Parts: sequence; structure tokens; C-alpha cells
Amino acid sequence: MATTLPPVGQVTVISAAPPVPDQRRRGHPLRLVALTLGALMFLFPFYYMLIGSLQDEPDTTPAGALPNPGNLTAANYSDIDDRINLGRTILNSGIFTGGVLLGTVVFGVLAGYALARLHFRGRGLLFGFMLLVQVIPFQLMTIPLYVLIVRNYGLADSYLGMILPFAINSTAVFIFRQYFLQLPKELFEAAHVDGAGELTILLRIALPLVRPALLTAVLLTFIGPWNEFLWPFLITKDQDMQPLAVALANYISNVAARATNPYGALLAGACVLVAPVVVLFVAFQRHFVSTDIGSGVKG
Amino acid sequence: MKRTVAPLLLAITLAASTAACGDSGTSAADAAVKRGPIKIWYSNNPEELAWGQAMVAAWNTAHPDQQVTAEEIPAGKTSEETIGAAITAGTAPCLVFNTAPAAVPQFQKQGGLVALDEFPGARDYIEQRTGERATQYVSPDDKYYQLPWKSNPVVIFYNKKAFAAAGIDPERPPLATHAEFLDTARKVVKGGGAQFAILPAPSAEFFQSWFDFYPMFAAETGGRQLVEQGRAQFAGDEGRRVAQLWRTLYDEGLAGREKYNGDAFADGKAAMSVVGPWAISVYGDKVEWGAVPVPTSQRTPASEIHTFSDAKNVAMYSACTNRATAWDLMKFATSNEQDGALLAGTGQMPMRTGLPKAYPDYFASHPNYTGFADLAERTVEVPNVPNSIAIWQTVRDAYSSSVIFGKSDPTTALDEAASKVDQLAGQR
Amino acid sequence: MFGRQPVGLAFVSPYVVFLVMIFAYPLGLAVWMSFHDYFFAAPGVAVDRPFVGFDNYTAVLGDPAVRRAFLNILIFLVINVPLTVVLSLILASALNAAIPFRTFFRVSFYVPYLTASVAVVGVWLFLFNSDGLVNKVLGPLAPEPSWLVNTGLAMPVVAIYVTWKQLGFFILLYLAALQNVPKELYEAAAVDGASRSRAFRSVTVPGVRPATTLVVLLATITGANLFTEPYLLTGGGGPNGTSTSPVLLMYQRGIEQGEPGVAAAIGMVLVIGVLAVSLVNRRLLERD
Repeated sequence: MATTLPPVGQVTVISAAPPVPDQRRRGHPLRLVALTLGALMFLFPFYYMLIGSLQDEPDTTPAGALPNPGNLTAANYSDIDDRINLGRTILNSGIFTGGVLLGTVVFGVLAGYALARLHFRGRGLLFGFMLLVQVIPFQLMTIPLYVLIVRNYGLADSYLGMILPFAINSTAVFIFRQYFLQLPKELFEAAHVDGAGELTILLRIALPLVRPALLTAVLLTFIGPWNEFLWPFLITKDQDMQPLAVALANYISNVAARATNPYGALLAGACVLVAPVVVLFVAFQRHFVSTDIGSGVKG
Repeated sequence: MKRTVAPLLLAITLAASTAACGDSGTSAADAAVKRGPIKIWYSNNPEELAWGQAMVAAWNTAHPDQQVTAEEIPAGKTSEETIGAAITAGTAPCLVFNTAPAAVPQFQKQGGLVALDEFPGARDYIEQRTGERATQYVSPDDKYYQLPWKSNPVVIFYNKKAFAAAGIDPERPPLATHAEFLDTARKVVKGGGAQFAILPAPSAEFFQSWFDFYPMFAAETGGRQLVEQGRAQFAGDEGRRVAQLWRTLYDEGLAGREKYNGDAFADGKAAMSVVGPWAISVYGDKVEWGAVPVPTSQRTPASEIHTFSDAKNVAMYSACTNRATAWDLMKFATSNEQDGALLAGTGQMPMRTGLPKAYPDYFASHPNYTGFADLAERTVEVPNVPNSIAIWQTVRDAYSSSVIFGKSDPTTALDEAASKVDQLAGQR
Repeated sequence: MFGRQPVGLAFVSPYVVFLVMIFAYPLGLAVWMSFHDYFFAAPGVAVDRPFVGFDNYTAVLGDPAVRRAFLNILIFLVINVPLTVVLSLILASALNAAIPFRTFFRVSFYVPYLTASVAVVGVWLFLFNSDGLVNKVLGPLAPEPSWLVNTGLAMPVVAIYVTWKQLGFFILLYLAALQNVPKELYEAAAVDGASRSRAFRSVTVPGVRPATTLVVLLATITGANLFTEPYLLTGGGGPNGTSTSPVLLMYQRGIEQGEPGVAAAIGMVLVIGVLAVSLVNRRLLERD
């Protein structure tokens, strides 16, 4: 007979004591003040970035931190749009990042789950190797990787060549493993008793429970390739293939110096680069907190 | 884990060594006479880009069977990395129109460059066009692995308005000797002309010495290179005098110790800058500039002053198969006509002797460039020796700690650096 | 024979293939290079790459610049890691609660992480310049010489910059972990009359222990491999080499100066060091 497994996504909580007002949940004024101060300190450089990118003439005095209506212009942004094909480069960034996300989510989740919950020969070895890979700085591997991917695999000027070194983000695998580890054993024992296969367990039970971790890992994996400059720069010489970070870096290092306001042009480029990420982030951030997870199986 | 690591590494290393064996492809002798389409890289500095595109278009029209495809690479530090990686992978283009002379020894060691001597008449062509300076570009094995292309003789630019505000004559400022330079620097800062007299980048990248120490050293020694005959030259009296001048500038706060995010001269933060004529297009209308040669300790007539060349050259890379075409393109790009176009378009000095005579119209309409053309005849290049980048890094580290940050005595620091450099220059 | 659950092998096989394809060769090559007088050559060029045993290692370990770089990273880690753990956990807890404007707060703490360093460094340079905003505010308390050119302060400033920049990442990690701390534990603590800070110490901190291990581990690894930030903030090595990082030296020696064997030796020493530190950390934190 099937044991009562709660429907996926809804785990009820049964507590013995009457509900006590959770002090955590009340908006404590001091906390709010501290958070606000912190947030302002964190945001200040970006506010300054935005202001700086809109300046007509560079105003490096502290007073220039306030928007001066007489000094505002969108010229820095239109300048960028003239030099760089924004549409094409954003598309390239999207493909690059999307490829990495796909690889990480599909294969990384599988690997993280296996490392956390499945016992197979070589598990320790793989975990150790994964740790080792994390620790190696990219600069050490740049040229051998380049030779490997361009010469041996023949993937110069291709999306695959860009994606390959980043295809499965090891940090994400780490994170997946960590969060799968946090799930209670009883959950899996119950599922095994139920006769469910590993893949089913992963997809229908474990994965939904770590949805916040999944989304976290997705966002973190997004940032790497989106902001990555050196590798796509090495791999692609064809300007049509270059992602936004490379095009902007080129712009900043060479063209921006000629603009009327080079500092402003640099900041405008930076704002353009960060805007899509912030938008995505704001859109998805509420999913980082799952609706109501409570404890595991009860009753 | 330890049990399997060793065999794993062994397997990997075997794979690595087989992967490292590349195919030999066409033999060098065959390639030297082959013609066909080629690929080149040039920098994406806007004016050079415009010149490059026009030059390639002109060639392509005249040679439909030897088409040139051109790609841009940024001129910054990363270009060396890109070229080095491309050499290793065998994907370097035929020509790179932005090869830094300092990187040539390394590319040569990697087997990445083609000796131009193998083309009939190449040596004569180079030496005729560039004259005596060409000898600075020969490699230790007495071959040319680069074609001297253009230079940007480094001078002192000064802000006329800032000088005038501080009470210094903007048309004839006293900047000819070390003592005068120091005095003027003090005056311009005290008089409120600018926050700093001069602000070269104080950061520790190996090439920064090319824009503070080296130009003055070249001038002070009357044209000596950093390393000559395998021995460091910079720890002698001349080097010490130059180092002392800069040390005083930093000690008195006349030169800044913090990197400025932007162009300090163009933004009016520094009253002077040490750079070549390419910067003029950056300064544009922002600064009313004047230019004088770099100072020497004793007064030297301007017609005898040397300086750093800041040259960029064209090199042919060994991955090239259609080398005859590549060489022809090199000659085309440095022909009388193309050199003139480069001069007119960018203001940089092609490395051709007798520029004012060759392009009288240009210099008639741009009289303030005649000084550069004259100075271009007496430029000093970075020494073409093994480990040249390591040498420059050693010098920069010593200069940075003793001169910029004043943490040690410049004389001792330079002496120590010199013995290290002697070792590096003597290797292989 | 394949362990209790051999399907695990199937699950990890794509990842293993990826690791072997992409990392095994460069890694193996790096180890090989560290024992040879190695340099990268064009294909087909016959070069002599003699085996030099431990020469590269002795040269590296005896080089004062390398030693200074490792010391710099140690200073960095001592500041960055504890600060990161404490701040990110506290902030994650705060951001987990039902506070007003939660989205705004969350975004504001994550934004530094989302931005490319190249861009945001300019603003910090402006702020910490000798006549920048920070010094203007501090007035007579401003350090002389100023922050980024002060041999004692340069690396700490870099450490604070990186902490600020990476905090969003670690807040996210803690936020996800906090979801898995059962709510009854907090309720039970409240019933027991525990104050909020007591509850934090006894429920939250132990409850997210695996995440803390992860945070410490990742912060250590990222810190040890620091390259871009010290380079951009202090211009390639800082005042008298006090903010040089080992990876910067690797870049200089390996790629700029064409001595990848020496760079690989530095890299190996770095890897061993980080592994040692990570093992110690793990031992301390996962005491069950």
C-alpha cells in the first residue's frame, strides 16, 4: 500500500503548541533603520554610476554626486549605441549565458544530487576533484584551455567554444550538493520504500524542495558568463560574435577616451551591462523564498 | 583519492603531450613564395582603424585574387595575450599591425614570427625606409622579425592656460634642464595652475616606465638603450640623475602617487604630460597645449635630444601560409603613399627618414608637428633582448618602490635591479 | 561493485566528462609545466623544455615578491572571510523576515555582486582618492598617505571592497539555507522565552551550518584567487607590492613574461595552500 506522501509542493506543519506571535515577523524599527542605512551605503556607488553616466561634463567634486539639471545628458548612451551593435551583442551574451545555464541546470543538478545522496564508487574522488577544479585560478589554465578548444576541438569563433569552459558551473554543483544534503533523510527513505526510482525522486521530490537553491544557483551562474570578458575576447575575433561585456570593454579601453566625457561614457557602458541583470533579478527574486516549506514528512 | 590521482595525472600528461604535437603544414620555404588570401589584425584606435580600412580596401581592389580580411584587436595590454595565445594555438593571422617591439623577443622565442630577411630585398627595404634607427629593431640573431612601422616620439606636453595662470610664459616655458623643469613644476602647482605638475601613471605595469623614466634616460644618455651589449645601462650616473629628478617630484607632491581615472592632462588635473603625438587627437579642444622635448640635466639643443619612440611595428607570424602576399602587403602599407595617409589621418610618425621632405604639404599645414618629425629621427627603442618584459618589470618594480613611493634609496634599488637585469638579458 | 547506487555514476557522467575534457588537460599540463623550464611555442616548433625538478618551486618560494603576495592574501582572508560570514548571515536573516520594501532591500544588497568589477571600481577609486568623498568626510582623521597608496591600508581597502561586492552572493546562499530551518524551532524557542538574539544564536546559526561551511569555503577560494580587484583598485601591485596577489604574479610571470613554468609553480603552491586552509576550515566547522 502506498504510504501517504504529501502532494509535491505542499508540506503541512503540525505544531503542538498554540501559534505564538513570531517576534521575527514584526517590523522592528531599529532593524529597519539599520537595513536602510546599509542599503543606502550599498547602493551609493551605483547611484553615483548612474549620475556619472548622465553627466555632460565630468564633475568629480563631491557636489557632483547630486544630479545637476544643467549637466544632464543622454549623449553618453547614444554614443555607445552608435559604436556597438547593442542588439547583436546582447543576443550573443544571451546565447552564451543561456548555454551555460542550460548545462549547469541540467547536468549540474544531476551531479549535485548524486554527490549528495547517492552512494557510488568514486564519489569521494569526484568531490575532491571538483574541489580542486574550484581552487585552480583561471589564469593558470587560460592558454592551455585556449589551445585545447581552438586547436584540438576547432571551436574558435563559435558559441560552443565560448560556452565550453563554463558549461557546468562547479560552484553551482557545490551549492546543489549542499542543499540536497540539507534535506531530511526520512524523505528519501519514505520514497525508497515507495519503490520510486532515483530520477523520479530527484525530479518530483527533491528538486521542488530546493527550488530556492535552484533559483539561487541559476542567478549566480548567470552572472559569471554575463560579465565575463577575457575568455570570449580570446575566443572570438569576429565582431558579430562578441558578447556585450567584450564589446563594452573594447569601447571603454579605446573609444571612450575620445568621448567628450570619457568617464561618463565608461559609466554609461557599465550601466548598460548591469541593467538586464538587475531587471531579471528584481523579476525573479521573490522566488528565492519558497511559499511554505516547514519541516519534512509528519504524521 | 590519492590512489587514483597519480595514474590520472599520467594519463592527462600523455594526452597533453600528444595534443602538443601539431602538424607541420606547409614548409617555410614553400610558404615564402605562396600568394593568396590572408588575414591581418590591426588596432581599433579609431584613426588607425580608418587608415587600415582604407588601406585594405585599396589593396583588395588592386588584388582580387589576394584578398585581405582584417579584424580589430584592442591595442591594450591584452593584445599581447591574444597574440601569444594565438601563436600557441596556431591561429595567429599573417600580419599584426600593432606588434609591440617589447613583445617581439618573446614571440620570436615561441617560434611565432617569420624572419623578414628571407624575402628578397627585405633588409634593404627596411633599412632604406627607416635609416639608421632600423638597427634598433634587429634581433640578436641579426635578422629582422619586425618591420618598423610608426613611432610616437615622447615629449612633454604642457597646458598653456595653466602655465599662464601660474605666471609662467606659455610660449617659452623653462623646461629644458632638470633644474628648470623642477622649478617650473613647483611654480605651476604653487601658482594654482593645476593640482599636480605632472601625473604619469604610478602603477606597476611593466610598460609604465616608458612614459616617465625611459624618455628622460634616452635624452640624458644621448640615445642609449636600457640594456646594451647585454649589460644594464640604467644604474649609471645618467640613470641616477633621472631617477633623482622624479624622486624629488614625487617627494614634493608635484607628481601624484595615485592613479587618475581618466586622462589627467586632458581633465586639467596635471599641468604637463609625457606622451607622443597620438594624444593630440584626445586632447582636441579640451586643452590648449604646447610641446617641448624632455629635459636633460645640462642644456641640450633640441636638434640633438633623443627620446623614447613608443613605436608599433608590423610583424609576420609563422602561422601564415601565403607569405609572399603578406610581405607585399607590408611593403604596400609602408609605401610613400600609405605612410602619407597614416601621417595625415593619425598624426603619428611613420618610421621613414626625412619626413618633412617627403610630405611637405602636411607639415606646411600642421607646423606644430614638424617638431615631432624632427624628433622622430632620434628615437630610442626598447632593447631587443631575451626576457625583455621581465627586464622591464624588474626595472619598474625597483623604480616604483624607490622613486614613486620613496621606500628605498634609488641608487641602491637601481643597482640591484641592474644586476638582476644583467642576468635576464644574458639568458639564451 | 559500483557502490550501493550505481545510477549515481550515470548521473554524474556528463559532469565527469566535462571536467575531464575541460579541466583535466590544463590541470595536468600545469603540473607538468611546474617541473619544467616551459614556454608555449607555435605548433610544429621544436623547442627544448628541460626537466628542472623543483627549481621553479625553490625559486618561487624564495622570491620575496611571491612571499609578500601570499602574505597579502592572508591579510585579505583574515579580514574578508569572517566579515563576509557574519554580515551575510545577519543580512540574510533580516531580509528573510517580512519587512516592508523587502524587494528594494534585497536588490540593493545584491546589486554590487551583479555588476562587473571593471565598471564599479571607478566609483570606488573616486571615493577613496586622496581628495575623495571619504577623506573629505573624515577630515582630520583621514589617513596619510591616503587609503590606496598607504602600504598598510591598501590591502584592507581591497578586502572591504571585495566583501561589499561579493556579499550579495553569500546572502543568497544563506537565504536559501534559511528556508530549510524548520519554523517550529523558532516557535519553540519563543515559547521558551528566548530573545531574538538568543534564537539567532541557538537556532539560526546551527541550522545553517552546512551553508556556513560552503560560504567559508567559497569565500576562501575566491579570495585566494583574487586577481581583478587588486589589479584594478591599486594598479597592478599597489604601493610597494602590498596589494599584489599570487594570481597577479602568475599572470605577470606566465603570460606577460612567458614563463608559464614559474607561474604554474606559484599556482601549485597556491592550490596546496588553499586546500590546506579549506581542510582546516571544514574540520572546524563540520564537527559532526
